[in-house]
Amino acid sequence: MGSRAEGLEERLKRSLRRLKWEMDPFSWSQLFIVLAAFAAFMLIPLGMVIVRSFYTSGGFTLDSLKLVLTDDYYFPLRVHLTSDFPFISMEGVRGSLYHVVEYTRPTGEVVKIIYITGWDFGVLVNSLVVATSTAILSTVLGFTLAFIFAKYKFPGAEALRIISLIPLLSTPFVGAIGLKRMIVSDGVLNVLFHDILRVIPFKVEITGLPAVIMVQTLIFYPIVMLNAYTALISLDPSLEEQAINMGASGFRLFRTITLPLATPGVEAGALLVFILALEDLGTPIVFKGTVAEKVLTFQIFNRIFTPAGLISQEATTLALILLVISAVVFVAVRRYVSLRRYAMLGKGGIWRPRRRRLSNKTVVLVYVFVFAVLFFATLPHIGVTLLAFSKEWGTTILPESYTLNNFKAVLADEQARRSIVNSLVYSGIATVFMVILGVSAAYLVSRKKGVPGIEALDLLVTLPIAVPGIAVATGLFLTYLGTPLSPTISGAPLLIASYTVRKIPFTVRSVFSGLEQTDKALDEVAWTVGASRTRTFFTIILPLIALNVLAGGMLSFIYSMSEVSTGIVVGDANHRDAPMTWKMYDMLFHGLAGGLAQPAAMGFMLMGLQFVFIVGANLLLRKRATALIGV
Amino acid sequence: MVKIRTVDLTKRFGEVVAVDHVSLEIQHGEFFTLLGPSGCGKTTFLRCIAGLELPDEGKVYFDDQEVTEVPPHKRDTGMVFQNYALWPHMNVFDNIAYGLKIRGYKKEEIRKRVMEVLKLVKLEGMENRTPHQLSGGQQQRVALARAIVINPKVLLFDEPLSNLDAKLRIEMRAELKRLQRELGITTLYVTHDQEEAMSISDRIAVMNQGRVMQIGTPQEIYKHPKNEFVARFIGQGTFLYGEVVAKDGERLKVRLEAIEKEVLAVPSHPEANPDVGDRVLVMVRPESFELAPETRDSNEFEVEVYHVSFLGNSLRVQARAGDAPFVIEVDPDEEVPVGKSIKVYASPELTLAIRL
Ligand SMILES: Nc1ncnc2c1ncn2[C@@H]1O[C@H](COP(=O)(O)OP(=O)(O)OP(=O)(O)O)[C@@H](O)[C@H]1O
Ligand SMILES: [Mg+2]
Repeated sequence: MGSRAEGLEERLKRSLRRLKWEMDPFSWSQLFIVLAAFAAFMLIPLGMVIVRSFYTSGGFTLDSLKLVLTDDYYFPLRVHLTSDFPFISMEGVRGSLYHVVEYTRPTGEVVKIIYITGWDFGVLVNSLVVATSTAILSTVLGFTLAFIFAKYKFPGAEALRIISLIPLLSTPFVGAIGLKRMIVSDGVLNVLFHDILRVIPFKVEITGLPAVIMVQTLIFYPIVMLNAYTALISLDPSLEEQAINMGASGFRLFRTITLPLATPGVEAGALLVFILALEDLGTPIVFKGTVAEKVLTFQIFNRIFTPAGLISQEATTLALILLVISAVVFVAVRRYVSLRRYAMLGKGGIWRPRRRRLSNKTVVLVYVFVFAVLFFATLPHIGVTLLAFSKEWGTTILPESYTLNNFKAVLADEQARRSIVNSLVYSGIATVFMVILGVSAAYLVSRKKGVPGIEALDLLVTLPIAVPGIAVATGLFLTYLGTPLSPTISGAPLLIASYTVRKIPFTVRSVFSGLEQTDKALDEVAWTVGASRTRTFFTIILPLIALNVLAGGMLSFIYSMSEVSTGIVVGDANHRDAPMTWKMYDMLFHGLAGGLAQPAAMGFMLMGLQFVFIVGANLLLRKRATALIGV
Repeated sequence: MVKIRTVDLTKRFGEVVAVDHVSLEIQHGEFFTLLGPSGCGKTTFLRCIAGLELPDEGKVYFDDQEVTEVPPHKRDTGMVFQNYALWPHMNVFDNIAYGLKIRGYKKEEIRKRVMEVLKLVKLEGMENRTPHQLSGGQQQRVALARAIVINPKVLLFDEPLSNLDAKLRIEMRAELKRLQRELGITTLYVTHDQEEAMSISDRIAVMNQGRVMQIGTPQEIYKHPKNEFVARFIGQGTFLYGEVVAKDGERLKVRLEAIEKEVLAVPSHPEANPDVGDRVLVMVRPESFELAPETRDSNEFEVEVYHVSFLGNSLRVQARAGDAPFVIEVDPDEEVPVGKSIKVYASPELTLAIRL
């Protein structure tokens, strides 16, 4: 026992010596500000969510949890064992997958509409169903595309691959607005396939959970695709060749060699999609009024802030459940690699894989598939764009006429104008914070690998991608309502803080990759000629990673602009200080016109900005990568 | 100019002991080289001296001052890295001037000093180029200039020539030596190239697996290797195992294992003097052999030649006696028939016995 305690003391002493050696006052202050910011605006708020789910003024209670788990609205499912096959029966599922309505047009034509509404399993299971379905569909779609682009050679492949990444340039909230216009009964799809081409004898309208799943899949599949593509093209071609030489071919090769090697990347991507789908609030909001709103995120949002200025414990409990699900998924797999990759928006590896040429017949098949996917994947974006510029858009495939009036109307609306300014200012300030904190964190993680426990910092600053935004929003309200930072006094502090902690991974990852590409010997040689670490940081390191800082800052800025969860919640509490995303939400449901055109105009602006910033950031990084070669 | 001293310096990376209780002294103005195979801990040792690694145990002294935990920027060393580590965002002038700026010199003084040192490393007129506009050799000189311009107490080199082509390497070697002699700065140099180490160093420490195997002048470690590792690592030789059967002062009689024979030998290194009954390695350097015209009473070997190569100033003969390979260097004018047996002789003074 004694020697063991001594060993511990020894170890502690060594760790302290190491710490003293690695960390100077400057590094300590960097570490301190990062930890302080995360503690204040992420960890403590999330802790409050946990605490307040169980504690009321009356002390510890499980009432709220019990209520949520037994209430028919949240969890109506009851399972019984039966004596007949399949020995199990379930009650409580409401609705049906679809129903059919027929009506007669004034012309006498009979029109059949199939409404795909989906079932309603209650809030808790609905969220899981949506997240699971989106993850599975995104994986199938993303992996298939990645496989096609990685393994086959055909004209236009590279261009098509880049086009298929377009959904990354948008968010579900904006995409949902665009897609909604496309999939209603007199929407573009029905007009095209039913009225004009007449290839389908009925109309289809998708609402409810299926609509949410469709939007999310079309926005998120590129995440799996990126992961899978990277994995597939970085496979050592000789492995596959070896297998072929040993007689494996076709499907067998795929099943025994290709798939297992690509699995970790794909799995990680699928899990990230699961979490992003689970925490998505934008899409349910757009499809408000259908079963789509019976998901965790929307229910929390709807309950979080009562007009009396109170936060319902029900909302807190729901937020806790959401948090627990994401945490379990995250921990269960522990592959946060894909979070990093997502935050980088990388374009894949550098190997030149061997691609197979296809027979003409197969090329046609491949084209049909790829174009079909791209058709649907670009629908949300085309939809937003058309809506934004449409004057009148009835039951025709394209708007009857175009106008800038939607933009003019937005800019004439004083509240909308202010929301744009608010978004720009908050995101701008948050970006300054993200750059300071993000560069600090990335520097510590990349350059202080010897400091015991530094991996935890890496995890901490990457984690926000996997933490549901609405849970953070709930926590921030719980923690700061009634303090000087209260959103009822000013929306700015919490929004800036929330943007900062939630979108910082984009800056961290970009800066981190810059640091990893910069030889550590460049810092060390500066030390040897007499520069302190602080001085080296500012005169050597920062100039060398300036482009990564800029690119990372741009990504963080643009994702702050399109942040939904905190924005809408805070905006609801304080209209004057609300950001753009709240104004879009407000226009969707409380606007005078009530139409989609004006929110779409705002969405279009966001999408445009996002496009410019993301493409710009990627161009910057690519240029830098080549500029460094040969030094 | 300082004297560098380490006491039991030890550095571990997890399970690997990169530097294992190394104690040595580098004198004022000495050109001291660490030589050893890849992965033996040379770089790690150098980095401990520079302050880039924190040793797990042991101490480092500059003169009488302990610097073990002094951060690198307070050590006053100049270091040249294997890949030169020039800052790509600065031109040649700024790269060199950086250390002077930090020391707060006036602009004029900086200019003067940088120009001087540029002349010293023969890079006049290149001050406005950026690093990637320079050849490997030129980059190497900039890195050197940057290290010496601050007039450091210690110069540290980590395989600075290994990225250059063979011809340039030999040129730069001479130049480095000239500069070091002119400046008189205590220098620690790391290389795995024994020829380089031999030609440039005042003293060499041969390292293996984190430990120092022998320290000495190039002549000493070549002529008097202390152990089998050094004997085999430095230069060429003929190696025969055997047992000491008799000892008469400095003279040993060794019974060989591979050949039925007893030879006379001397201890290779005074600190490793074998006793009767000890197992030893007998080593003869190639040039210590001579072709034996008249019969001698001992140390004569009959070997079968299987390869002869002409090296310009000598002939290298590869031969065999039983299973034991012989490497012999003789005068280039000699005629040595391939496939025939010849007799060679190594005088007892040049037949070295190394205690195992
Ligand atoms: N930062 C590190 N982390 C873990 N192990 C290390 C680290 N640096 C060195 N080592 C290990 O320590 C040992 C000594 O390494 P070192 O770089 O000092 O060798 P070296 O003699 O300079 O080799 P080379 O001639 O190849 O440069 C090696 O086994 C190496 O793998
Ligand atoms: Mg080395």
